Amino acid sequence: MAGVYDNITWSEARNVLRTWRENSERQSRDVVYIWESILKQHVDKLGNEKFLVLEQVFLAALDCHSLNLSEKCLKILMTEFPGSLRVHKCHAMHLEAIELYDEALSVLDSIIKKDETNAAPRKRRVAIYKAYGRIPEAIKELTEYLKKFMSDQEAWHELSDLYLQEQEYGKAAVCIEELILHNPHNHLLHQRYAEIKYSMGGYDNMLTAKSYFCQAIKLNPNNIRALYGLLLTVNHISLSQKCPASKKKELAKLSTWVSKQIDQQYKLKNSNDDTNIKQVEDLLAHLQLEV
Amino acid sequence: MAELLLDPNIRGWVFLPIVVITFLVGIVRHYVSILLSTQKKVELTQVQDSQIMIRSRLLRENGQYIPKSAFLARRHFFNNEETGYFKTQRRAPVTQNPMSDPNMISEMLKGNLTNVIPMVLIGGWINWMFSGFVTSNYCFSIFLLLFIFGRSIKINYNFYFSAKVPFPLTLRFKPMLQRGIELVTLDAAWVSSASWYFLNVFGLRSIYTLVLGENNAADTSRHLQDQVSGAAMSMPPDPKAAFKSEWEALEICEHNWALNGVDEDLLGSKYKNVDDIDMYSQSSSS
Repeated sequence: MAGVYDNITWSEARNVLRTWRENSERQSRDVVYIWESILKQHVDKLGNEKFLVLEQVFLAALDCHSLNLSEKCLKILMTEFPGSLRVHKCHAMHLEAIELYDEALSVLDSIIKKDETNAAPRKRRVAIYKAYGRIPEAIKELTEYLKKFMSDQEAWHELSDLYLQEQEYGKAAVCIEELILHNPHNHLLHQRYAEIKYSMGGYDNMLTAKSYFCQAIKLNPNNIRALYGLLLTVNHISLSQKCPASKKKELAKLSTWVSKQIDQQYKLKNSNDDTNIKQVEDLLAHLQLEV
Repeated sequence: MAELLLDPNIRGWVFLPIVVITFLVGIVRHYVSILLSTQKKVELTQVQDSQIMIRSRLLRENGQYIPKSAFLARRHFFNNEETGYFKTQRRAPVTQNPMSDPNMISEMLKGNLTNVIPMVLIGGWINWMFSGFVTSNYCFSIFLLLFIFGRSIKINYNFYFSAKVPFPLTLRFKPMLQRGIELVTLDAAWVSSASWYFLNVFGLRSIYTLVLGENNAADTSRHLQDQVSGAAMSMPPDPKAAFKSEWEALEICEHNWALNGVDEDLLGSKYKNVDDIDMYSQSSSS
């Protein structure tokens, strides 16, 4: 993987890092590799960009758990910008990485005190609680954050994940609704929403789940997870007591359509391998029998 | 009309120095304004307000993608008479007079320091120092042309300064191009040094972009635009009025669930291909 970057000059390496930084790609392992093999010797040629690169390498080093490297980067940054809140945040992250959570929290608090509108340290606090495993506290912290920064999509997503961990499906669904408002054409969000509704159970939730699985398939006909989900949901609904007989025919139609679609998807993917299809077909038959 | 013969020294000691001076002053101004600029402090409530406005706008735009109950719950959160966000949040009315805000005054002072004062000082100095000289408004482009073709300017002195403007200029241009020279008989094509300075001040914009990059502080025309629309822009928008209009918009917003009948869509004609038709016959036979 890293072999691609063996024979490039330092300016090419700088450009690679720059594009990653601009597109906010992590590529942590490659960043560390490029730093160690090429850019390390040419730090002083980078000019003002040096510190941006150092910050990038610092984060990458934390991702790769090479704490020596991250400490080195942090030291240079700290001596250069002793008062910068951005460097303080890096410091907190380093403390977090070496599991000094309380110290990290106090650093973050001091940043928030200085700049109330800074969103990053508040999110780091949530991350620390999550690392502790204190999910309810993390949820509390995150809801406080979201009261102030209401249109932060990442935070809503994280909150929904945390609620799912706590099996609070209703609240998780609310978070996903918020994300759908931001991104109504993302099929994965619709699929996730349907899955949560399916897990909640109950006839009405099942109907909602069916609609959202359908929407996900409509947006992306190749979404196999949504196809399976729809199959399960439809079968579940048709077996329900509340389901009127008139609807059952329609549901059966939908169910056959979906299983056909799934079948087709597998045929497309493994057109050469017949045994696999056989297995899937068996599985499908099994699935329908069970429900 | 009588031919006007200019001393070649005017080019060396008036025409070019004015270009260089305006250019350098612009660069200095850029760096001074960087030194003086302070980062604007944003209040937490301002951030919160702007984010909630985004969220409520998204609810209006994409609300049809979430179930009706979810939509109503959100609208309740924003608009409920007793507990709704738009109803309960009381923001202090924005101060009408910018003079009462000390920050605003210092901002204005800095703006004056970097814009108006150098403009007046340098303009005045140029007017005093180079007053009475006449240059040709055509000579700059000629100068560039000569430069491009690599010819020696020396040979072309006569050509250089006796160049006629290819288009006639009416007398109306005289106050613009010949500031400081009140000669009725002088052809309007000639430019006085003071006017040449002003032409430079406004004309060097693209050169600054080239040297200093986009959005530089030396760009005067941008500042002028700011001053024109500045009165409205610098005032923070009144959250109370914004909340009220958003409340109204949300109140009349209807919810039509976009996912109604999506399952029929799937089975419908849209996805009908050869396999699907095959499937239909199968399902009907079974």
